Amino acid sequence: MLSVKNIVKQYATHRALDNVSLEVESGKIFGLLGPNGAGKTSLIRIITQITAPDSGEVIFNGKRLNSDHISQIGYLPEERGLYKKMEIGEQILYLSKLKGLSTAEATKRIKFWFEKLEMKDWWSKKVEDLSKGMQQKVQFVATILHQPELIILDEPFSGFDPVNANIIKNEILELNKQGATFIFSTHRMESVEELCDHIALIHQSKKILDGSVDEIKGTYRNNTYWIEYEGDYNTNSANGIFEVLQTEQVKGKTLIKVQLQPDKTANEVLSLLLPHVSISRLDEVIPTMNDIFIDKVKGQDHE
Amino acid sequence: MNKILLIIRREYLSRVKKKSFIIMTFLTPLLIAGIYGLIGYFTYKGIKDTHDKVAVVNNNKILIEKLVSDKNIKYEYVTQSLEEMKKSFKKGDYDYVLYLPNFTLQAPDSIQLFGAKQAGLSLNRRISGDIEELIRNQKLKESGIAQSDLDKLKTSVDISVKKIAETGQEQDSSAGASTIIAFIAGILMFMFIMLYGIQVMRGVIEEKTSRIIEVMISSVKPFQLMMGKIIGIAMVGLTQFILWIVLTLTISTVAVSFFTNKDDIKKSVAVSQAGQGVAQLSQGTPAASAMQGPMADIQKSLAGLDIAKIVTVFIFFFLGGYLFYSALYAAIGSAVDSETETQQFMMPVMMPLLLGYALSLSVVTNDPYGPIAFWLSMIPFTSPIAMVVRLPYGVPNWELALSMLILVVGFIGTVWVAGRIYRVGILMYGKKTTFKEMFKWFTYKA
Repeated sequence: MLSVKNIVKQYATHRALDNVSLEVESGKIFGLLGPNGAGKTSLIRIITQITAPDSGEVIFNGKRLNSDHISQIGYLPEERGLYKKMEIGEQILYLSKLKGLSTAEATKRIKFWFEKLEMKDWWSKKVEDLSKGMQQKVQFVATILHQPELIILDEPFSGFDPVNANIIKNEILELNKQGATFIFSTHRMESVEELCDHIALIHQSKKILDGSVDEIKGTYRNNTYWIEYEGDYNTNSANGIFEVLQTEQVKGKTLIKVQLQPDKTANEVLSLLLPHVSISRLDEVIPTMNDIFIDKVKGQDHE
Repeated sequence: MNKILLIIRREYLSRVKKKSFIIMTFLTPLLIAGIYGLIGYFTYKGIKDTHDKVAVVNNNKILIEKLVSDKNIKYEYVTQSLEEMKKSFKKGDYDYVLYLPNFTLQAPDSIQLFGAKQAGLSLNRRISGDIEELIRNQKLKESGIAQSDLDKLKTSVDISVKKIAETGQEQDSSAGASTIIAFIAGILMFMFIMLYGIQVMRGVIEEKTSRIIEVMISSVKPFQLMMGKIIGIAMVGLTQFILWIVLTLTISTVAVSFFTNKDDIKKSVAVSQAGQGVAQLSQGTPAASAMQGPMADIQKSLAGLDIAKIVTVFIFFFLGGYLFYSALYAAIGSAVDSETETQQFMMPVMMPLLLGYALSLSVVTNDPYGPIAFWLSMIPFTSPIAMVVRLPYGVPNWELALSMLILVVGFIGTVWVAGRIYRVGILMYGKKTTFKEMFKWFTYKA
């Protein structure tokens, strides 16, 4: 539904985005990752039409991005903010009317969400009287109230306590089920693994990784396993099948990390070991998104 | 367009609903009325109370004529010497002791005035004037002119100032009334532009520091947001201005009718009863009748002024001048992170306004048709103030129209420039902005 094509954004001396292209599919949760200052916010600001790219284009539902699309996009910036002196109900109403909702419809929906997120008597409270976490909730409601097709969340969980973070996560999943597409910008990798279908990694203004979470993890598997066993086995005799990377003794058991030769499988390892020891555990080492992130970013820095 | 209306509405309502706005709006006319009441009261009281008693020690052999007392000053010739007067002064029969030594008419010096308090400038002038007159009369007499001829020399002149309108009709006018209106209009204009311009700046800074700005401009264009704010606050200003006029008129009407009624009753009971308050001005005390001359004059020429025109032009120049300056204030607000950083940018914006204000109230009121007045009322940085100051004296229509046109072009210009700085500035955080940087923002592509 959203294609970002060859975007270049240049600030005076600094190139914030260097020929970045992305494809966000409808109904998916898309993770936009990258270290601080990589260019994520610049890209989001282009998608939300806050700034315009120097070259390249953004296509939204087959059309070049234009001001009609404002009502179809919801944006929760990393730096949250509301009018401090305004009543909360008024505030959300104002923000959603700017997105094109009618007063009646917006009021109805605000009441619905207030009910759902346990904010019932918040309407005439002022923002300055709320805690930071409560303000986040208000801002989240303001972001999604106009039922946008595309919801862009920049670090959505920062500032939430675990209980509220969970509530928001469930709301995101539910909205996603109803068909909303999400773009997530974050560097909290656990939430990426939990939520995202697809990710793109931006580093130093360039996209350096792009693909579905499963695919990426797949390519980062390198045939490494943890094996835990009881008994004695001379690992030197395993040459040709695997190589031991690490050995540990834990409570009378032995834990080894092995890397298999490219054409070998875990079954072969087992058949080699079974006659000698009793095996209590075998795990494939799957890199976490965190590992991939660090690996990729560091790798890039060394080049 | 619909979005701009929503923004205007919010900016307007959020300010008009504030307690401080309501208090300011209703209190100010009362305050103004109160201040005028006090001024009137003290002027009246001042006139009645300046009744200085001056003991005159005359050692002069030539000045035989005596200084003439009147309601403000009383001269009493004493026979004691100056030393004796000084010693007995503390007993307090007199306010001052005037010592006239034996000088020649050609070189009247060493005249001294003693008093427990320092004699004010007006008293000083008054006494020296009286003595000068005495000496002059003496000199005239010595040159052989009779007292009766001297009396005939005195004539009182009252110039009735009339202005010839473009149609050739005569209009009553009074420099006094025009000057009062000009001052009030000039001060009001300066206040309005300053107050509301700074409100625009505060509003922009508030949106920036509370970080709502990013949410806002993902929904509306920066220019819409800026204009919405500027127009919304302009309407707050207009509301306040109109309420002030209405309230002031209401209060003064009520007050006038209240006092006149009271006066009528009083008159029927006891005519010359002294009391306090402004209302006494209209009673038949000598001080009040002295005041009535200029007052009546002013009232007469107030009728000659086209108040409707002045108010309309005032509102036009308020809107124009406000738009011109508030756009600059919006640009400043967008460039900084907090109000404390605004100083270096405020100066260059404030200077022309202050200069216009100062020059308008001095040079322009003295010479409302001169070249300085003309140029001040054309340059859009100063024209809002200078023009409303000139207006009560009468301004040719073509000058008015030209000045309005220049102002409109001017504010379109500042709004355009400010818009270009604003759209970049509002997203910049944590950097200390310089003028160079602002210029760079201005040249950025959209």
